[in-house]
This record gives sequence, structure tokens and C-alpha cells, in this order.
Amino acid sequence: MTLRASLAMLLVATPAFAHHGWSGQEEKVTSLTGTVVQGVSLAGPHAGMKIKVGAQVWDITFAPPARTERAGLKEGLIPIGATVTVRGNRSTEPGHHEMKTIYIKHSAAEYHVYPERE
Amino acid sequence: MDIAHALTWLEHSPLGALARSLGVWSYGIINLAHILGITMLFGAILLLDLRLLGAWRSIPLSAISRPATTVAMIGFCVAVMSGLPMLSVKSTDYIGNPFLLIKFPAIALALANVWLVHRTEAWRAHRTRDLMPAENRRLAVGAILSLTFWLTAITAGRMIGYW
Repeated sequence: MTLRASLAMLLVATPAFAHHGWSGQEEKVTSLTGTVVQGVSLAGPHAGMKIKVGAQVWDITFAPPARTERAGLKEGLIPIGATVTVRGNRSTEPGHHEMKTIYIKHSAAEYHVYPERE
Repeated sequence: MDIAHALTWLEHSPLGALARSLGVWSYGIINLAHILGITMLFGAILLLDLRLLGAWRSIPLSAISRPATTVAMIGFCVAVMSGLPMLSVKSTDYIGNPFLLIKFPAIALALANVWLVHRTEAWRAHRTRDLMPAENRRLAVGAILSLTFWLTAITAGRMIGYW
């Protein structure tokens, strides 16, 4: 195998190893509607929030904080108790209620965190 | 206090609150400081340990040990001072993370090894005289343990985010 071919393979393979990648998530994009129990946090490696769907609390993971903020999401913008609808890829791990979220809607406001994945 | 309680306490500590309040780029910048600290620490240790294992014999050990020890100590302090706020941002996310339970004992063993090596007659004497073969062997054992423990700590630390 030539060096160039090896490098090309490496470049293709790299996204699968990206930090906290999408590899542990379902392929399909699904929706969840629930009430906010912990508002948007823009701290840490990834922004996130917690919503309650029925009796189940879901971890809603967004993009890194700067990207999430560029999508228009700010801390305190969506109040606790508000009803939101999110779309994204659920964790494939059984019992792990987490969604890597690409879109969130709160009343009339829509935030596209990963528009290229919609 | 068990680990879950300690992590919960750390998340709710003033350090956690501060680390979460510094803006959207803060985590990346603190992470950068952590990486720089680790590169200083491990780069310096690697040079010293390879010398203790027999590389670059023409360079006196004391010519390497002094700068390497200083740079490694500064790197360790930078890594600790950046690592604690990084951990405190969402400490409870790491409850049940096995890599944490490998990383911190490995750091403890690495520090114990530093302490033991620095107590040896060989280490004390290397600044003032040439060492005997037995003394060189004693320091080489310390170097092997050092590389093992630090590489274990760094590997486990890197894997924390992938669990």
C-alpha cells in the first residue's frame, strides 16, 4: 500500500474516533418531546440539558459550547418546566437515556445545532 | 467518603461553579493548559528516564537530571491546576468511569516512585560522582517504573472522555 493510500484511509477513518463521536448513537434521527428539568449548560466539553419524557429523564447533549452558542442557544433562555421538542440520535447503549441532539424547538423558537445532520 | 460523593462534592464546590462560569471557550483553553502540562511533564521525564536506561551516556546524568526535574515539576503543577477545574465542571459525569480509577492510582504510584528514587544513595550521589554499575541498575529500575506509571496515567486519562 502506498503512503498516500494509507494517509487517505487514515483521514477517512479519523471521524469515527473523534472525541465523544457519534459512533455510540443510533443511525436514525428520532424526536423526543418533554419538559426541561435542567436548563441549557454551556460548560464542559459539550453543552447539554436534561428533559423529562414521561417518567424518564433524558440527557440532551448538544455540540461543544461555542458551536451550541452560535446556534443561538444561551444559558437561561429556555426556562425549567418549558416544553421542548428535540431531534437527534439516541444512544445505542441499553438503559442509557441520552440523545446527541441536532435540533431543538421551544415554542416558536428553533435552534439548529447541527444543520448538516438534519 | 466514597468516590461518587467526592465527585458530587467537587461539582458543587466553588471551583466547579467558577469553572462553569468562564465562557464557552474556557473548557478548551483549560484543556489546552492540561495538554501543555502533560507534554512538559512527560517530555522531561522521557529524556531523564531514557538517560537512566543508558541512552546518551556521553552526557553527564546531572546535566540532564536538573533541567528535566524542574520542567517535569512545573508540568505536573500545570497539569494538576488545569485538571482539577476540568474535572469539577461536570464531575458527576465521571461516576462509574473505570479510567478514573486507573488514572489516579497510577499517578499516586508514579509520585511514590519519584519519592523512592530521590531517596536512593545513587540519586543523591549522581550530582557529585560517577555511579557504580549497581547504582545505575537501581536508577534504571526506577526509570522503567516511572515510564510504566506515567504512561498508564496518561493513557487512562485520555480514555476518560471516550468511556
